[in-house]
Amino acid sequence: MIRRIVDFTLILIFMWACMILGLWIIDRIIVPLEMPYVHPLITATIKVGASSALAIIWLWIWREIVKRMFWHTLRSHRRRSMRSRDGESGGKSIKGNN
Amino acid sequence: MIIESLVFAVGFASSLLSMPAVMRFMRSRGIVGVDMHKLDRPSIPEMGGVAVLIGLTASTLTAAALMPERANILLGFLFSALIAGIIGAIDDLKPLSARVKPLLTLLSGVPILLMGAYNPRGPVFPIIGQTRMRLVYPIVIIIALAVTSNAVNMLDPFNGTMSGSCTVITISMLISSLILGRWEGLILSLCLLGPLIVLYLFNRYPARVFSGDVGSLAIGAALGAIAIIGRLEAAAVIAFAPQIMNAFYGLSTIGRLYERREVPRPVILRSDGRLEATSDPKAPITLARIILAYGPMHEREAARTIIILSVISGILSVFTAYLMKVTT
Repeated sequence: MIRRIVDFTLILIFMWACMILGLWIIDRIIVPLEMPYVHPLITATIKVGASSALAIIWLWIWREIVKRMFWHTLRSHRRRSMRSRDGESGGKSIKGNN
Repeated sequence: MIIESLVFAVGFASSLLSMPAVMRFMRSRGIVGVDMHKLDRPSIPEMGGVAVLIGLTASTLTAAALMPERANILLGFLFSALIAGIIGAIDDLKPLSARVKPLLTLLSGVPILLMGAYNPRGPVFPIIGQTRMRLVYPIVIIIALAVTSNAVNMLDPFNGTMSGSCTVITISMLISSLILGRWEGLILSLCLLGPLIVLYLFNRYPARVFSGDVGSLAIGAALGAIAIIGRLEAAAVIAFAPQIMNAFYGLSTIGRLYERREVPRPVILRSDGRLEATSDPKAPITLARIILAYGPMHEREAARTIIILSVISGILSVFTAYLMKVTT
């Protein structure tokens, strides 16, 4: 149970840190963005678009990390259980031969 | 302090007193569900969430009677939860399609807008501070309540998971409200906390009652309403991380809105009574399936794991509230 909780906690903390970093980027880089000769409405649309893109990238990273973790864990668990099953049946056959 | 304690006590007592009657009524009407994760597959009364709605109504009306100047906020919150609860009750009695249910839950945000129980300028974020979203924010509120109610409804795989994790979210919202000095968040969290604790006591492993969609949709909408009315949106997003994770992966693997009965079960029951993640590629990747991918577990342990994850995201959400206080 500890391993499951530690893995998820690391993901949660990483995603939380990414969210704070994203908010910092929006506050320091995107919001102060000035575009001379561009209509203010277009500038505002670009700012909203860039912030939304950051949010989508955040969700995408979150999804990819967990997806990869899930299939990796499932495969390694299946391999482990197959190996232990093979070990058990091997032991029985040797005993039977004797 | 007296008012806050009284509101909590009224919610807790009325839910506690009504829950056995609700359970008897549901069993007598044949409104029962099969507990799929037990070898003997017992029949458990459904729609225990009705007792949560009774407690929530009692506590919120008590608060409104004691503080009539805040009645618009309290009634906006109550009607949001009741609308979601009614939609859930309809779904429990006559299942709605996977598209109709989320669409109907959009209605639960309307009372908050009609009662003017929100900050019209927009949400507050750590670092950024107060945003200016006057035009977009009402639309965001409508969508947010549909998202929270359906996300809570989707994370109910084991006995006590939904009620336990939502209790943790409510406590983290309560602490966040205290840190930020948001009275609305504090009183609304207390209105919900009593009925939620009662539901957890009856719904924890081995469950004596199921909440049903009437409970899960209402609780999700109530939590969304607390986040919006209490201006705790950023903290709530973090507190909801396990629910968001679960809904997001489920939807992204299936590629559309789905009902549990339409897709292969992500979790299977082994002959030794333990639960195992299915390797069926067509099954949705849910939080329960990810947790069980590490190896089989008893339902009690699996439920505890999800609640511990909620506690961790709750701690992060409280820290987010602290950041909001420090940086804005």
